[in-house]
Amino acid sequence: MDRGDILKTLKAPANWGRKYSLWAVYFCTGCGIIEIPPVITSRWDAERFGVIPMATPRQGNLFLITGYVSLKTLGAIIRTYDQMLDPKYVVGFGSCPVNGGMYWDSYNTIKHLDKYIPVDGWISGCMPRPEAIFVAVTHLWTLIDKGLADGYKKYKDNYEYYCENQRRVLPHLGKFAGGAETETAAAPATLRMPP
Amino acid sequence: MTEEDLKQRIADRMPQCGVAVPKPGRLIASVPRDGLLSLLHLLKADGFEHLALISCVDWIEEGELELVYHLWSQETKVHAMAKTRISRDSPRFLSIIPLFRHAQTYERELHEMFGITFDGNPRLVPMLLDHWQGIPPMRKEFDLRRHAKETFGVEERAG
Repeated sequence: MDRGDILKTLKAPANWGRKYSLWAVYFCTGCGIIEIPPVITSRWDAERFGVIPMATPRQGNLFLITGYVSLKTLGAIIRTYDQMLDPKYVVGFGSCPVNGGMYWDSYNTIKHLDKYIPVDGWISGCMPRPEAIFVAVTHLWTLIDKGLADGYKKYKDNYEYYCENQRRVLPHLGKFAGGAETETAAAPATLRMPP
Repeated sequence: MTEEDLKQRIADRMPQCGVAVPKPGRLIASVPRDGLLSLLHLLKADGFEHLALISCVDWIEEGELELVYHLWSQETKVHAMAKTRISRDSPRFLSIIPLFRHAQTYERELHEMFGITFDGNPRLVPMLLDHWQGIPPMRKEFDLRRHAKETFGVEERAG
């Protein structure tokens, strides 16, 4: 550690701890999951960066959305994200979560992930190389240091906005159970702009 | 047995069936809808024991849905397609589960994507889509772009 970093670390020791132990939650959300095994195993060894795979969402704080997100997967992603404890960071991996990618007019794939959960960082490409994950992780360190990786705070502050978008595509999700029919009928025809 | 032999055998036994061999290793047989089960029985007896896929083509201008049964013969290495057309307005057809048991999944998928009801299939429940409402997405009157725009908020792109 640089001598100059000591004061910064003392100012926010929690951030220092968080940024070097990013425990990643991921499940097979799409094709990008193929890139993950080489990243966490010996060739690229993500543990050098403090990233290790974590089995349960309650113990992880980094959520990798790897590749396209179908509606069924979005339901699982929302459930998983709601289970994770603060602070939590989301990284969209590949071009499909960014803007739909090659599924931009598909009937069953969401196009903009950040309408449904807050995303702290994006990795573009189809597919990105495993090195891109490390670039993203080091960028995320900077964001955590500066206090800019605050997606989980945005989620709390704009919970109605995210819930409304989630309910529009998944009215039958467990968290909306009951009253789903009446509320979807009243929902506006277009999505609201992000705040 | 070559493709031409197979073609001759089918033509002999089912005169109403149009058979063609577009290229080596490929056999296309089209029948009216009440002849399809007999055709599949004939093909199965001739060695086409593997049902690889059931696909569907939507001929919207003619008001018909074309069911294509893809069969494969390990013995002669020939890919046979048995085709038939059903009405588009009330898409109903017989299930071929008694003949090929694994057709259950393919019929279930066609039911979901094209809205075809297969009589005799015990489990026509949704498979890939999640609480889908409205017209099935693979039918041609389904407006893909508009659906994506309304549901997901896709912006129009240039070009």
